[in-house]
Amino acid sequence: MSAAESATAIHRNQVDLLDFIDWSGVECLNQSSSHPLPNALKQGYREDEGLNLESDADEQLLIYIPFTQVIKLHSIVVMGSEEDGPKTVKLFANREHMGFSNVSDFPPSDTAVLSQDNLKGKPVVVKYVKFQNVRSLTIFIEDNQSGSEITKVQKIALYGSTVETTDMKGLKKIEDH
Amino acid sequence: MVLEATMICIDNSEWMRNGDYSPSRFQAQADAVSLICGAKTQSNPENTVGILTMAGKGVRVLATPTSDLGKVLSCMHGLEMGGEMNLAAGIQIAQLALKHRQNKNQQQRIIVFAGSPIKHEKKALEMIGKKLKKNSVALDIVNFGEDEDGKPEKLEALLASVNNNDTSHIVHVPAGQNALSDVLISTPVFTGDGEGGSGFAAAAAAAAAGGVSDFDFGVDPNIDPELALALRVSMEEERARQEAAAKRAAEEATRQEKGEEAQPQSDSQNATMNATEKASDPMDEDDALLKQALALSMNIPGSDSSAGDAQMSEATNDDQEFALALQMSMQDGSKDSSDQSDVSKVLGDQSFMSSILSSLPGVDPNDPKVKDLLASLPSQSEPQEKKEEDEQPKDDK
Repeated sequence: MSAAESATAIHRNQVDLLDFIDWSGVECLNQSSSHPLPNALKQGYREDEGLNLESDADEQLLIYIPFTQVIKLHSIVVMGSEEDGPKTVKLFANREHMGFSNVSDFPPSDTAVLSQDNLKGKPVVVKYVKFQNVRSLTIFIEDNQSGSEITKVQKIALYGSTVETTDMKGLKKIEDH
Repeated sequence: MVLEATMICIDNSEWMRNGDYSPSRFQAQADAVSLICGAKTQSNPENTVGILTMAGKGVRVLATPTSDLGKVLSCMHGLEMGGEMNLAAGIQIAQLALKHRQNKNQQQRIIVFAGSPIKHEKKALEMIGKKLKKNSVALDIVNFGEDEDGKPEKLEALLASVNNNDTSHIVHVPAGQNALSDVLISTPVFTGDGEGGSGFAAAAAAAAAGGVSDFDFGVDPNIDPELALALRVSMEEERARQEAAAKRAAEEATRQEKGEEAQPQSDSQNATMNATEKASDPMDEDDALLKQALALSMNIPGSDSSAGDAQMSEATNDDQEFALALQMSMQDGSKDSSDQSDVSKVLGDQSFMSSILSSLPGVDPNDPKVKDLLASLPSQSEPQEKKEEDEQPKDDK
């Protein structure tokens, strides 16, 4: 309940950035083919607790999400189970085509260590100043809560706002000359 | 048509001097490599291929992934053999080369030619495989050359740890008559998971194999499509003609009641009619052709004239209507001789019929049954049909 309240409190002027994700460029390294990224990202799939994103060869995951327009990222929600949910999550803004070998080459825009509350849905507020002009987001899940071989993520949601906000209704009014 | 960047790891160790693959292991490998390069670039013009050698003084990258086929092939010249193959280092350096490819949208693939013994442990190879899988790099392994204990198992273990959704493959090529390239052409290494490169592969196969080809008429559709098409069409026409003639023969056979001989034919004819299938015994076809020839020579109208292929289709259509009409008449048990006037003319000619019957293997014209049939031929009579029904149950036993 408190998680839900705090969630709505933060979302005053933030929207779910799901609509701005450029799905053609979304990639996930080290995902299991039977439990791929859309299970955690897509509307409907991410609400389903039975559908998870799972890692394959080891516990790390590298998720690359490009956007259709420039956005500001305010907070993220990462939900998972108590043991297999992600623990350390690093976010990189505007880095294309990263691999596991160069995650340590430059510092992340933000790092989050997820608590059990976060795994239940409490959003993690990111360093807003670092995410003012985001074209693409790379999420590096370094390890999971219990240190097991497979990391399972049930839901990933991004909240923020767009840089150029166009109010379509406003446009119509102006047209009435 | 998958957009792919490929690194080919060549084994140029001392073991490649062996001649069990003609002309030498190394030469066979080189041929295979050039074929692969060609196939990859042909299946998608944006594909890139790179080459590195695993033995010699150390792992050496001869060409980074490039779409320039000439550059790749030229660096294959003047390669020297020597030293030992370092599989682990070779694969890791290939992975590094792929990581720095120019077009990041390309899928990553490594093709390894493992011709010499592998000195690494299975564990180490599995770790390497896991790392490849983690970075979504596919791996194709060509196991040839030295066949030491444990080598296939090590390579299989490596493949198992890399394989993600069957994108990686392993091919074992034993020494023998077939060239390494020929064996590879039919494998997923070339055909790329069943798409794209098969056209190129087919052409290469035809060119390389010469007389031995898998194509129906010994003509590669890729090389000479018109000839292949013409051959195929004439084959189908001949088949249709034979089927029509066979059907006609079977029709005549049921009506003639040639004794035991007729039974398989009439049964097949009934089965054919009932099921409207076109299968026929080989003997039917022989009969049909024979009758056809005889009828032709006697200029009987209405018989299957093979003058002009253009008329064939019309003729076969007529025959099918024939068959339908016959079927209906058989089932009704009523006379319908009007459609078969032409054919009954043929049948009415006793001398002609007896000459045909005598030529059939198994039929003895002096058999009383046959004689009876000949006598009762000109008219389609119920006794005949009854006989047929009688004989049918006999055969059904």
